[in-house]
Amino acid sequence: MDQEFFDNIIYLKDLKATQDIVHEYTLKDQKSPLVIDNGSFQCRVGFANRKTPQLIFKNLICKPRKDRNKKDTKEEIAQQAPPATLIGNDIVNIEALRFQLRTQFDRNVVTHFYIQEQIFDYMFTHLGINTEGSVNHPIVMTEAMVNPNYCRSLMSELLFECYQIPSVFYGIDSLFSFNYNDNIKGTGLIISLGYHTTHVIPFMNGQHIIDKIRRVNVGGFHMMTYMHRLMQLKYSMHVNNITLSRIEELFHGHSRISYDYFEDLKKWSSHEYYDNHIKKVQLPYSQSAATTQLTAEQKIEKKKEMSRRLAEINARKREERLAEEEDQLQKLEEVLESFDDEDTEDFEMGLKELNLSTYEELEKTIAATRARIDKIKLKMQAVETGVTTEEKPVIIPMPPQGINLEDWLSEVREKKSAILEKKQVRRQRRSDLAKRRTAAAQERMRIISKLAGKEKGTDDFGSRDEDWDVYKAISREQDSDSEVENEKLMEIDEILRHHDPMLEDEEKLKMTPAEYHQLHFSVEAIRAPELLFQPSMMGICEAGLAETIDYVLKLFTATEQQQLVDNIFLTGGIAKLPGLKERLWRELMEIRPFKSTYNVKIAKEGSFDAWNGARKFTISGNNLNAHSITKEEYYELGGEYIKENCFSNFYYKTPAEKIDTTVVT
Amino acid sequence: MQEEMPVFKSKTMQEPGMKKRLWKSLKQIQTTERNLFGNTSTAVIYSSINAPPSFKPPKKYSDMSGLLASYSCPQSKIYYHNSEEYKIVKKMPSDISKGYLTLRGATSLV
Repeated sequence: MDQEFFDNIIYLKDLKATQDIVHEYTLKDQKSPLVIDNGSFQCRVGFANRKTPQLIFKNLICKPRKDRNKKDTKEEIAQQAPPATLIGNDIVNIEALRFQLRTQFDRNVVTHFYIQEQIFDYMFTHLGINTEGSVNHPIVMTEAMVNPNYCRSLMSELLFECYQIPSVFYGIDSLFSFNYNDNIKGTGLIISLGYHTTHVIPFMNGQHIIDKIRRVNVGGFHMMTYMHRLMQLKYSMHVNNITLSRIEELFHGHSRISYDYFEDLKKWSSHEYYDNHIKKVQLPYSQSAATTQLTAEQKIEKKKEMSRRLAEINARKREERLAEEEDQLQKLEEVLESFDDEDTEDFEMGLKELNLSTYEELEKTIAATRARIDKIKLKMQAVETGVTTEEKPVIIPMPPQGINLEDWLSEVREKKSAILEKKQVRRQRRSDLAKRRTAAAQERMRIISKLAGKEKGTDDFGSRDEDWDVYKAISREQDSDSEVENEKLMEIDEILRHHDPMLEDEEKLKMTPAEYHQLHFSVEAIRAPELLFQPSMMGICEAGLAETIDYVLKLFTATEQQQLVDNIFLTGGIAKLPGLKERLWRELMEIRPFKSTYNVKIAKEGSFDAWNGARKFTISGNNLNAHSITKEEYYELGGEYIKENCFSNFYYKTPAEKIDTTVVT
Repeated sequence: MQEEMPVFKSKTMQEPGMKKRLWKSLKQIQTTERNLFGNTSTAVIYSSINAPPSFKPPKKYSDMSGLLASYSCPQSKIYYHNSEEYKIVKKMPSDISKGYLTLRGATSLV
């Protein structure tokens, strides 16, 4: 086959995580601050003296559940070690454990601190830290934009009290990234495209304008799960094969943001465009299925062969039985002869051998054996004649007199499709009844409860014949395919096989197993990322990215707006999606006044730049000492306290809880 | 039985009750935060930077193909693009059509 044919097929790599090594804890490391980019998708950790993060892992843990089937006796618990909790890159085969995965994040905010603690254990262990009773490194860590005080205080509690760290600085990932790519003293509109959320951050003269920041609650996670469900619904037979990891690979490698979504949809609606641009995702399948694929003729041939062999075996068996019976008869007759010869001794012996007692019994057995032999012989004869009848020419069903063959065939075909439809409807009803929550099942339950709910004495059920029809309506078995219909269908198939050339074409059109395991990936490539601009596709009534940018810009004066759009900066994992920059360009054209200028740029390394920026912050000047919260300050001012600077959140002290003094009457 | 504790952890932090602790969800945290700060506060909190509601009417797209949808199936409420798709919609099993509706946010699974 030509190469062109394969160009549109996507082969998935199904990459697996490689386990992290325990790094060497060098002397230099021991004096270095530690930089942690704690993202809701990935966590990146490394000492500031190194140029790249040492650990990069998905922020996930897998806590294996206890096997429910095993008994919980005390001895057994003592015997078997509890299943180890897997963290980050320990989880090699992520799909096998998909349902046991937990994360410390709720959206983009850390809320589950026991999991966070285990993640910290994992990262400090793999960094090789071995100091007794403390982690003796100043820590620079990212936190969510406008992280709730409650969450920050718990994080500080964990860091200062469990790990005894000397100091911590909490910064915002996208601001670190902006610092790494741009001038933190400058002005710009930062668009941070994360895993759970997307932020629009106006940044003026070295400071983010906190009250004008807006967050779109759509991120890579939503796009990927959306795509995942779409593909699963489209190919319900491959539900288990369409895994989230495969979709992630597909999403990162083959999806893009559409420049003009409507235009693209119009293009896709044409068959020609579809055929030329369709991509097919090849799911893995076992090759053994391919070899069993036979043509129709081969199948028939095989069937014939099988039946022939079966007939042979039967014939041989019959012959054996015949010989056996004849043997028996001979023995019996010998005994009978000895009776006739009045040789009583031989006769008695013979009877004993045959487990018989009297002469009458002997005669009976002889008669029975003779009958059996006759029967077998008859059968053998019948088979022989049967073989000859099989070779008679098959009667070809012909159309009734006076009707055109074509018309007749189309009529037959219609009949066939009608029967098939009926069957399909019944199958659907059966499967609907089997499931709860379907309309059919609920209707059935309603009828049953109505039947059961009748008051005593007033029950006149059965007074009319129609009453009994109710049982037909609620029966689950009533809808088995009727025998008559099956016969009719066979008859029709027989007719079509002789007259209809289309049937053979259909057989030829049947897919190869490789094709059967291909997913057509068409509009999905632009449909899932489009969620960012149209969250309404997912039922979210909040504004999309373009509308939010428009909203944020309008909070500023015209000159400020111009300053902001002159430096639009995209960062985060989704920023590298192809087409995003162009799309924003087009959206801005709609938002901004006619002939205005603007500039869009993308972070150099997308998802790594937050770590890079945090490292840059850590190693430059006196930043760390000036802005970090020390252990003393933590104990003095509480866990939620931070020192505000251009990378951090603002600090709003949580007001003391108001005591409700109103009296409830 | 007890998992080995890393050497760098403070020994005093190992409360046995640690694991049983219930963690608030972000939703609960947001509600408490809103109540604490009150309506009059100028403080910027998590819920105050939410994106504004959309002012554009939501577009209708075919649930199956994603193409623009001008029709919807009266029975299953599935949006579809043309008659070809309607043929599939008519035969669609109810769990699939429910799945599409849930994905679109039109129904929630009970």
